Amino acid sequence: MSSYKIDIPPTALSTLKSRLENAVFPDELEDSEWAYGAPLADIKRLVARWRDGFDWRHEEQKLNAELPQFTRDIEVDGFGTLNIHYVHKKSERGLGIPLLFVHGWPGSFLESRKIVPLLTAGSGDARLPVFDVVALSLPGFGFSEGPKKTGFSFTQYAEVSHKLMLALGYTEYVTQGGDWGASITKEIARRYGGEHSKAWHINLILAGPPETQDPSSYTAIEKDGLARLQEYKRSGNGYYRIQATKPQTLGYSLADSPVGLLAWIYEKLVNWTDAYLWTDDEVLTWVSIYWFSRAGPAASLRIYYEVERAGQGIGRTSDSHIPTTPLGFSHFPKELGRIPKAWYHLVGNVVFEVEHDSGGHFAAHEKPELLVGDLQKMFGKSGPAFGVVLGRNGYDG
Amino acid sequence: MSNSFKIAVSSTDLSALKSRIESATFPDELDDAGWAYGVPLTDMKRLVARWRDGFDWRQEELKLNNELPQFTQDIEVDGFGSLNVHYVHKKSDRGAGIPLLFVHGWPGSFLESRKIIPLLTKGSGDSQCPVFDVVAISLPGFGFSEAPKKKGFSLSQYVEVSHKLMIALGYTEYVTQGGDLGSRVTAGIARRYGGMHSKAWHTNVLFSMPPENDDPSSYTASEKEGLARWQEFQRSGSGYFQLHSTKPQTLGYSLADSPVGLLAWIYEKLVSWSDNYPWTDDEVLTWVSIYWFSRAGPAASIRFYYEVAHSGQALGTKSSPPTIPMGCSLFPKELIRIPKSWYPGVGDVVFEAEHDKGGHFAAHEQPELLVGDLRKMFGKVARHFLRDVYSSLSVSSFTFFYCLQAKNDGV
Repeated sequence: MSSYKIDIPPTALSTLKSRLENAVFPDELEDSEWAYGAPLADIKRLVARWRDGFDWRHEEQKLNAELPQFTRDIEVDGFGTLNIHYVHKKSERGLGIPLLFVHGWPGSFLESRKIVPLLTAGSGDARLPVFDVVALSLPGFGFSEGPKKTGFSFTQYAEVSHKLMLALGYTEYVTQGGDWGASITKEIARRYGGEHSKAWHINLILAGPPETQDPSSYTAIEKDGLARLQEYKRSGNGYYRIQATKPQTLGYSLADSPVGLLAWIYEKLVNWTDAYLWTDDEVLTWVSIYWFSRAGPAASLRIYYEVERAGQGIGRTSDSHIPTTPLGFSHFPKELGRIPKAWYHLVGNVVFEVEHDSGGHFAAHEKPELLVGDLQKMFGKSGPAFGVVLGRNGYDG
Repeated sequence: MSNSFKIAVSSTDLSALKSRIESATFPDELDDAGWAYGVPLTDMKRLVARWRDGFDWRQEELKLNNELPQFTQDIEVDGFGSLNVHYVHKKSDRGAGIPLLFVHGWPGSFLESRKIIPLLTKGSGDSQCPVFDVVAISLPGFGFSEAPKKKGFSLSQYVEVSHKLMIALGYTEYVTQGGDLGSRVTAGIARRYGGMHSKAWHTNVLFSMPPENDDPSSYTASEKEGLARWQEFQRSGSGYFQLHSTKPQTLGYSLADSPVGLLAWIYEKLVSWSDNYPWTDDEVLTWVSIYWFSRAGPAASIRFYYEVAHSGQALGTKSSPPTIPMGCSLFPKELIRIPKSWYPGVGDVVFEAEHDKGGHFAAHEQPELLVGDLRKMFGKVARHFLRDVYSSLSVSSFTFFYCLQAKNDGV
């Protein structure tokens, strides 16, 4: 294990600047706004800021100051050793519940930034539980090494995540995940549930449909959630389809053009959030993690291909083994979609569920207090998952 | 009024491209990925190295200008104002050729007419063989044609601009050949201007929905194989289509800013959609350079998919087939092949040829085969059959038909 500080080499910074200075933009149709993709005015403004004004060193310093980071080698069956980057912050009081936070795409360990202080805070209400937080960079993302061979799918992502927790001394732990993190933590619950993964919480809940359905029984919210999912499949999943089939072809663009990468990610940051007021520097920090990532931006796309090839993708209708580990949901209205309660048995053993009236896909970033509040309720003294981790219930002694 | 046109990429643009390629950044690649994840890294590095040093655009440009007489003219499109349209126009070597409009698709261009034009315009030396006047348009947003500035420029507009170009060139009656998106455009031309202007249409891509009483058990082995290939295409080869149809602008930033990205995006299709065609690096680079140096930029060309998807004209939308005579050439590695029983949904197929080699870019991969089919379809051999078809038409078209005969006879 090694302590880690993000320290992007000056050559990488100057190469990026040079690229941005030579950026070539497409035109745009009149009055197209967001219909055809990210608007030209937004991208031009962001690129201008990225080129002059955005201070990566300053952002880097802030990140290093806020998030204690480390790397360690983790062995993954069939894939050798991967050097994994992660954030690890212990609770400031008491015995923090070990919580593994798993991001997705186009997310990163950065999504833990706002929830880490809230989850670990010593100064808050003593009636609320505290956590030890581990936020890993999935292999191929952030500052973790990427796998070199084909076939690195949920099994492997779950394995590396689990082994990291064990390596940190957390034989029992709980997890929180959104986007791919939801699927990966499901796999963790499936493989390591009971003995190691004691409870899991997700904010993207997708499974099914079941063999038989009764659509007339769905509530208005459920119907709306399914409709949003349909719309996503109709007009919002082009990125998924290309990443799941030809990630390398797309990868040449994203590796060679920071403007292309910015547009590719920014479109999701806006479309998938609930009127979240992104600042330009916030967006640029997020995208810079991808641009400066250890494995490069093309590597992060491969999870889609590997998952689809393993038959585990978004169209998967049934699971061979639904985990019994206690599961919590937080529903945010602008998530990509939502399934009816009648399908929950295909996801897991739901013991906790909260509805929110604001927030979208990047819950930890958009609504950190709400998400943390949910975790505190789920794992708190009167919550359904209180004390699941032996000896570390989030309180003193 | 048409203006003579010569491709003349500025030296600023050439050096900007070279500079861009020199600073190219490549991704890594998984071990043994082959073509499964997309274009292999070795192919890309080799092509980019050639593009940077060795590939001579000026020479390719010169050859193109020598081989293909090009022009531009302003065409008015309802609701979109005037668009300056680039096209190739070569008249037949002898007599009055049959006016043939060749319409490309994506990632094609007017370049796809390069090999078939000499064959179509010269003939085979046999006086029985028909010759053609060929017009190969650069669709708006492609090649050296202007692109529309407003939303909604869809099939109807592509149809309109293509037809108006033929009329402007003095061809009140003509025939068409189209593949890929060009097949949809020429189908649209046949539907709207068929009979009076478009007299017959030929395509190498057939698409239709199954008829009401479809009987899958009646399909031949090659029809089943063709449908299976279509399903596989939808499963693993249509990501680009879905993306173009929904977020073309988002992708466009990459294609406009990275020649390497653009090269990969197009090259993948050139290889996976053709039938073991031995692409030379310079051939690929010329093809992709047309996109890089295109008048409207590479991002404009992919909007076609979005517009079609959003105008109620998406693939699979029911519409009445054109009634004018239709010909098709089937190449084994085309992306889709529909069973014969679905043909009525496509059109009135009077000519069909099946080949045992060739893929999606038929005019480029198998020019002799494609031209051979066009000669057969429009030649004297088919005249007798075509006469029956034409007998029900107006005097003017009848006259046209006999003129055709006379022109060929008088050679």
